[in-house]
Amino acid sequence: MRTGYLVFEVRRAFRDSRFLLFAVALPVGLYLLQSSLSGQTTAGHDGSYIMGSLAAFGAFKAALDVGARTAVERGAGWQRLLRLTPLTGGGYMAAKASAAMLVALLPVACVSLAAGLVSGVELPAMGWLQQVLGTWAGTLPFALLGLLVGQVASPQSVQTYQGGVLLLLSFVGGLFIPVSTFPVALATVAKVLPSYWLAEIGHGAALGGAGIGQAALVLALYTLAFGAAVAVRYRRDSARV
Amino acid sequence: MTDRHRHTLAASGLRKHYDQVRAVDKVDLLIVPGEVVALLGPNGAGKSTTIDMILGLTRPDAGEVRLLGRAPRDAIREGAVGVMLQDPALLDDVNVRETVAMIASLHRAPMAVEEALRRAGVEDLGARRCAKLSGGEKQRVRFAMALVSDPDLLVLDEPTSAMDVGSRRELWRSMLAFTGTGRTVLFATHYLEEAEAYADRVVLMRAGRIVADGPVARVTAEVSGRTVRAVVPGARLPELRALPGVMGAELRGDRAEIRCADSDAVLRELLTRYPGTGDIEVGTLGLEEAFLALTSRSAEAAS
Repeated sequence: MRTGYLVFEVRRAFRDSRFLLFAVALPVGLYLLQSSLSGQTTAGHDGSYIMGSLAAFGAFKAALDVGARTAVERGAGWQRLLRLTPLTGGGYMAAKASAAMLVALLPVACVSLAAGLVSGVELPAMGWLQQVLGTWAGTLPFALLGLLVGQVASPQSVQTYQGGVLLLLSFVGGLFIPVSTFPVALATVAKVLPSYWLAEIGHGAALGGAGIGQAALVLALYTLAFGAAVAVRYRRDSARV
Repeated sequence: MTDRHRHTLAASGLRKHYDQVRAVDKVDLLIVPGEVVALLGPNGAGKSTTIDMILGLTRPDAGEVRLLGRAPRDAIREGAVGVMLQDPALLDDVNVRETVAMIASLHRAPMAVEEALRRAGVEDLGARRCAKLSGGEKQRVRFAMALVSDPDLLVLDEPTSAMDVGSRRELWRSMLAFTGTGRTVLFATHYLEEAEAYADRVVLMRAGRIVADGPVARVTAEVSGRTVRAVVPGARLPELRALPGVMGAELRGDRAEIRCADSDAVLRELLTRYPGTGDIEVGTLGLEEAFLALTSRSAEAAS
């Protein structure tokens, strides 16, 4: 019964030109730009390193956007309308989270394709698997974070929240500038953020680092934390009938 | 429909307070299958709050609602209730057919999407984005969304607000076609003419209470009727009010104003009891005016 709603949501996201521009074209463009700028000189900072960063950026931005948009829909009375259908509140949230995950796969795939086809990044099969599926699976806490933003923000304030979260996670998380070039204090902050660890999955795949276990653990903890926050907030909202 | 539930809608003792305001105060309502009921009242009478409680969108402070013998949420989950609320609630980035099809996909036994579009008179708008619809078109699309689950009960909250005359007629025609198949409808309106033209039964609300409830003809007779104005020397108000068929009377000095259903009967009595009666005028009370008179009078009586 929920699939109908899921298809509806995914179709909406893919039709949105702003989504395609900022969550797909932007990371791919940035990837192509940065990988050509940094050249093939610095070891570890070639196209394969940036691939992980920008795939992470595209994925979490896409996931965040889908969830945050619930604030606007709530303002338009859409959720009230859905309450008059067999779709339960939990079903709506689950469909939104699933839609967020589905659309997040596209930027990961596109950045990885650009890396493989345009920049000639070469990875073993397991490496590609980790880069694409690992990064994608790691996007789950961001889908939940998006739902949380959508619950907390008003239709008017949601853009501000969303922009703030996005900037913090991408810059401080080292998705645009490698954390290795950060001052020590900032690097410590970066390592607290889920976005840093999301990118580490791809970095690990490209550079053969060990980090993936730790990244999976941190992201799992964030998933639990955001999931609990969404559930608590949802309970409180639906009690206020 | 089985005899598992005699009433399509059964609400008893509904109350809702918002801060100090009594929005709805002890509302009882029973609707049997096949009835078309208008919930009529001025703005702020408590119609929307009553409907929200009936649908389980607002939890009543007291009282209970059963829809087709079930809790509202369960009846809705089974697709037995189609609803059209006041706020627009359409997403701008999808088209009409996608919107109705999505709602249909949530239900177990929906009618065909094209059928719902056709019944609501929006079959030509299927491919149009909701952002590009006029106010009246949006209302009709929302009517299609309410119809698509093929419900036993249709609840419409001020369905024709923000509609022009043409769209309004269209919508009511669709609604009548739907009720022709034995379905039950409850609609809220503040247009007396709509209640009169399309409902079998009118439930009048004022200040959170039901002040009249009955077949349209009866409530209309009750709210319409005549006014008799006359100079009646020596008249006393309780006596005037006790005259046969009198719905209300006022007395200022010797000048009496009497509202009644049958002015001939009242005049006959009046002239017999007070032979000095003179300066007689008989007027018709407009329906709209009578409706206001009735609702305000009940409010006075309540306070």
